[in-house]
Amino acid sequence: MSKSTSSGTDTEAGATSWLRGWRPAVGMAGRNLRRNRVRTVLAVLGVCIGVLAVAALGIFGNVLALGANDAIGDIGTQVVVSPNSDTGVESLSTTDVAEIRRAVDDPAVGDPAVVPLYSDNGIVAGASSQTFATIYGVEEPALAFEAAEGELPDRHRQGAIIGAGVATDLNIGTGDTVEIVGSQVRVVAVLAETQTFSPVAPDDAVFLPESAFAADGYAQALIISESGETAQAAADAIRREVNAREDRVDLFELAAIVDEINGFFDLLSTFLLGLGAISLVVAGVSILNVMLMSTVERRQEIGVMRAVGVTRRDVLRVLLAEAGLIGAVGAAAGTVLTVILVAALVAATPAVDASLVIDPTNAYYLLLALGFGVGVGIISGAYPAWKAANERPVEALRS
Amino acid sequence: MYSVELRGATKRYPGGGTEPVVALDDVNFAVEPGEFVAVVGPSGSGKSTLLNVLGLLDDPTEGWRLLNGTDVTELSVAERTTARKGSIGFVFQDFHLLPALTAVENVALPTAFDSGDASDRAVDLLRRFGLGDRLDHEPSELSGGQKQRVAIARSLINDPAVLLADEPTGNLDTDTGESILAEFGRVKEEGVAVIAVTHDPLVEEYADRVVELTDGVLVGGDVDEATSVDDTLGGRDSESPLAPGEQ
Repeated sequence: MSKSTSSGTDTEAGATSWLRGWRPAVGMAGRNLRRNRVRTVLAVLGVCIGVLAVAALGIFGNVLALGANDAIGDIGTQVVVSPNSDTGVESLSTTDVAEIRRAVDDPAVGDPAVVPLYSDNGIVAGASSQTFATIYGVEEPALAFEAAEGELPDRHRQGAIIGAGVATDLNIGTGDTVEIVGSQVRVVAVLAETQTFSPVAPDDAVFLPESAFAADGYAQALIISESGETAQAAADAIRREVNAREDRVDLFELAAIVDEINGFFDLLSTFLLGLGAISLVVAGVSILNVMLMSTVERRQEIGVMRAVGVTRRDVLRVLLAEAGLIGAVGAAAGTVLTVILVAALVAATPAVDASLVIDPTNAYYLLLALGFGVGVGIISGAYPAWKAANERPVEALRS
Repeated sequence: MYSVELRGATKRYPGGGTEPVVALDDVNFAVEPGEFVAVVGPSGSGKSTLLNVLGLLDDPTEGWRLLNGTDVTELSVAERTTARKGSIGFVFQDFHLLPALTAVENVALPTAFDSGDASDRAVDLLRRFGLGDRLDHEPSELSGGQKQRVAIARSLINDPAVLLADEPTGNLDTDTGESILAEFGRVKEEGVAVIAVTHDPLVEEYADRVVELTDGVLVGGDVDEATSVDDTLGGRDSESPLAPGEQ
């Protein structure tokens, strides 16, 4: 190591001597812990349970939040604009839609897609069954929806796009023919199931080209933004521009609600972590107790070590290593147990989406709990270790 | 130069009442390299305090303390630890071996946190004390005499100038005690000053000099003084002012 650069050598030499000081300390600590196995195992168990609680509750909270985010994520980015019947507006005219497009045609609101929809209701029939569904007229379905089967056309000119719920009810797929309000239409695509709540409810709807509608105005317009913030900005812009003189349109936006829901899940996660942390604190107190008992019992031994020339720092190292080992072993066991527990729970509950559980953010909670476990060990061991190391050997030797 | 020396050393403890307890009262005490001194006296006379002050475990309230001619009266905690490790060996009545460590590890304990491995030297010392077949035994597997031999080996691991023994034969039967005292005899041959606090008349037989501590007052503490006492008693011829090869 002396052949490396000078500053490197200094750092390396420092690190090496630092490590060399710890090696015998850890070795001696391990032996001391083995001397009182039952007590050591109980302390390790305490940390293990604490870490398990923190990690498992943290992951549960995270999975809940992730699941909720999955479910409500989309609606936060959607704004639904509908005519305001209170002021006598029954439908959105092309002028209204143009005004909406103009209002949101601004990089500051993220240039969201505007998808106007005609709307009606009617009977949709398959080969063997029929159902009542919302029938929308849409020109650019690809801007607002996703297909599970078939492909969404850029311009919807012919055929029907079927919502996932309708497709299941009628047991039909792409290429089949359905009867919509008396007309035979070929199915060009089936939409992916949406898990979100939206006033448009695409699952229970059928989408036809605009040309199929003779209505004189749109029933609503969907504003599809990239994020919750731009959705809110778009809604604000529409309120400002389109509703400038009179309240022509109603806006349905969930970004603010989504924010609050996310805030709630953050709170829930913190609360669950807090619950776990309590058990970790209890584990910390048990380490403190074990280390205090152990140093009181070994008072003379520590006095002898000091008398024969072992420095306070080295005594401190031995005792800190004992507490740290309890913390580390307990934390490692707790982490492994958490992984097993979570895996078992996922296997036992098919309702939980496994992809939510193997989400990388959950590893953060595992690492957090692991770090906490070791940290609790060292912090709890610090006081007894400091106390024992600083006792005057002449007092400690006096039995 | 003396291996260890106290000049006018007084140690007072705050007592329960208004008067402090005087454990050592103006003690003058010096031990030469290779000398075996027994300190006798009734319980509570200050023998343990004397040993603690000599062993840098406790500081005198007044007076001076010298180790190999160096003033070590007022040292920081860390300096005292270093000085103890380098120059002083301790042997206790209760042996005070660490139960989790083997004989070799107990002997090497003072150097356990240093760079370098003192195991070879520890093994040599144990062999010298006839424990070559007990190297990896834990204290619980050793007899009292064997434990005390391990403790003596531990006290010698750093080539000390002074070996301080507190009732070294107190927990041993007479035969074992005698063999331990014989070991002390060999240790002092190497130029180590051996000071044993004791109630055991056997120790006095092996000692070169016996000093008596009564209520903190030491009689016969100085080498010259002791010599004169010895002279009046018929004397011994082993008193040389300075032994060569001291540490």
